[in-house]
Amino acid sequence: MIGAVAAGTKTAAKIKRENADAEIVVITKDEHISYAGCGLPYFIGGVIEEEKELVVKTPQEFKQITDIDVYTKLEAMSIHSKEKYVLAMDILEGNVKKYSYDKLVLATGATPFIPQIEGADLQGVHTVRTVNDAINIRSLIDKGAVSKAVVVGGGFIGLEVAENLHGKNIEVSIVEFAHHILPSFDEEIALYAQNYMSDQGVNIYTCEKVISIKGEEGRVKKIITDQREIEADLVIMSVGVKPNTKLAEEIGIELGVTNAIKVNNFMETSIEGIYAVGDCAENVNLITGKPAWYPMGSTANKMGRIAGLSMTGDQKNGLKGVLGTTIVKLFKLNAGKTGLSEREAIKQGFEVETVIVPANDKAHYYPGYRQIITKLIADKNTHKILGAQVVGEGVVDKPIDVIATAITFGAKVEDLENLDLAYAPPFSMAMASTILASNALLNKLAGRMNGINSFELKKRLDELLVVDIRDEASYLIRTIPGAIHIPSEELIYRADELKNNEEIVLICKVGKIAYLSYLKLKKLGFQNVRILEGGISSYPYELV
Amino acid sequence: MADFNLNCKGLQCPGPIVQVFKTAKEAQSGDIINVKVTDRGFIKDIQAWCKKTGNELKELNETETEIQVKIQKK
Repeated sequence: MIGAVAAGTKTAAKIKRENADAEIVVITKDEHISYAGCGLPYFIGGVIEEEKELVVKTPQEFKQITDIDVYTKLEAMSIHSKEKYVLAMDILEGNVKKYSYDKLVLATGATPFIPQIEGADLQGVHTVRTVNDAINIRSLIDKGAVSKAVVVGGGFIGLEVAENLHGKNIEVSIVEFAHHILPSFDEEIALYAQNYMSDQGVNIYTCEKVISIKGEEGRVKKIITDQREIEADLVIMSVGVKPNTKLAEEIGIELGVTNAIKVNNFMETSIEGIYAVGDCAENVNLITGKPAWYPMGSTANKMGRIAGLSMTGDQKNGLKGVLGTTIVKLFKLNAGKTGLSEREAIKQGFEVETVIVPANDKAHYYPGYRQIITKLIADKNTHKILGAQVVGEGVVDKPIDVIATAITFGAKVEDLENLDLAYAPPFSMAMASTILASNALLNKLAGRMNGINSFELKKRLDELLVVDIRDEASYLIRTIPGAIHIPSEELIYRADELKNNEEIVLICKVGKIAYLSYLKLKKLGFQNVRILEGGISSYPYELV
Repeated sequence: MADFNLNCKGLQCPGPIVQVFKTAKEAQSGDIINVKVTDRGFIKDIQAWCKKTGNELKELNETETEIQVKIQKK
């Protein structure tokens, strides 16, 4: 086994359980094994106090439990697939050791991508991948050497680190090259999270490219983007990771279109007897059936188990694919995603219908409930669910997991709508958020409701007549720029104010009252009426 | 000066802010309005409302399950 974080140790442990006689050697160039890589941001912020809490098992503990030898600080140099051995360099002793194998597992992981810019090698510029990375960052903070930090890249790790640095009273700025943070999410959901993070006091600069990093006496001082200069005594590079495939490539193992190692359902590579698991290996997207790469701890562990089974002769149940289900906590906000985003689905050639529906995670009369917003994406023709995103301060993992399960079993929106989900006030609304979203999407698919999403409304604000039908107080507090005010109860007798030929968008808080008013206006003969999906509470753009 | 006490627990937005809005119309300058709410959206709403109307948000206490505010009418 080359590599000993999640997938490598999982594979080794599974082989041993299936075949106690198997002789297994795990080598890693790292000092730590089996560590919680996803927990590193929380160690930086001190939420996880001690290094030992991050390490699931030490090599000694692993040996004791599994009877498997793990050698750390031992870097694999080359694979000799004909003769079946691996040469590895002992980093401490400086000598080369030889390990023979019958079967070889590559669990070489991924490495943070570091843009080739001036100053990337300055002291105080860090990535967050290994336990030592986190220890180094934490010790800088504990020394009081960090008052301003810049996080380059607004993906999960970057955002989690930003939150944790902010918690240490450090002024944090995030620089993201894309239009919004959480680049894998659709814009309206990502902006909701972005606004939330800004409200917490994190500076966020999107559509900006980092040009260089400037330092003094070898230490970072500021970061230069194509728009501004930002002072920093700590820079976190979190612009993405790339699979470690060098060893595999050297012996001609085939890579996939994603540049990760191509494997079949049983984690076998193109060379017999060699397997690849975890972040270095490619996945299949369950919806498209096409290759994809999801370097996730959840997927890595599954791959490890399947490789272990497959190697010991059980090839009944391989990994057919994954959905790229992800979730992140940003301060008190949670954001989850499964399947394809609207953007990805369109790119894959699907004709999509989507809806955004705000709801609560618990009954509205049960204290402590929070709002969550569900975006549901389906195939317009087959009604199959393609993906979902849920964001809010409330419970989002449950709906995301429900939808991930539904997608895995090929569900249509009609199936989702009738799911018998657990209900009591402390746990859910009587009509769960997922079911409400399905209902609204079916209304759209059936042509019962004509909606406009916030993204399109924002673009066309000048051309449309936006009518805010909420109460006077709500309208006074904030509304969409240019919106006129006609409360819903006055809409019928004031309908003359809305000329028949104009394109009208009704807005309310979540979309429900607007839908009722929409039906009334339709009855009066209005043709060009639409409602703002998700209402003003999920509109992430400027309000006045 | 009078004190108005509003229990808006269980009311969803815009319920609480509508109640405050109506009460503020009846109230005299200097009167105090105390509000208990369970809807989280109320926090941003009441801050924005006070800012726009000039009424003073004297206190805002927040727990996991409840929000209490004290407002003084301008």
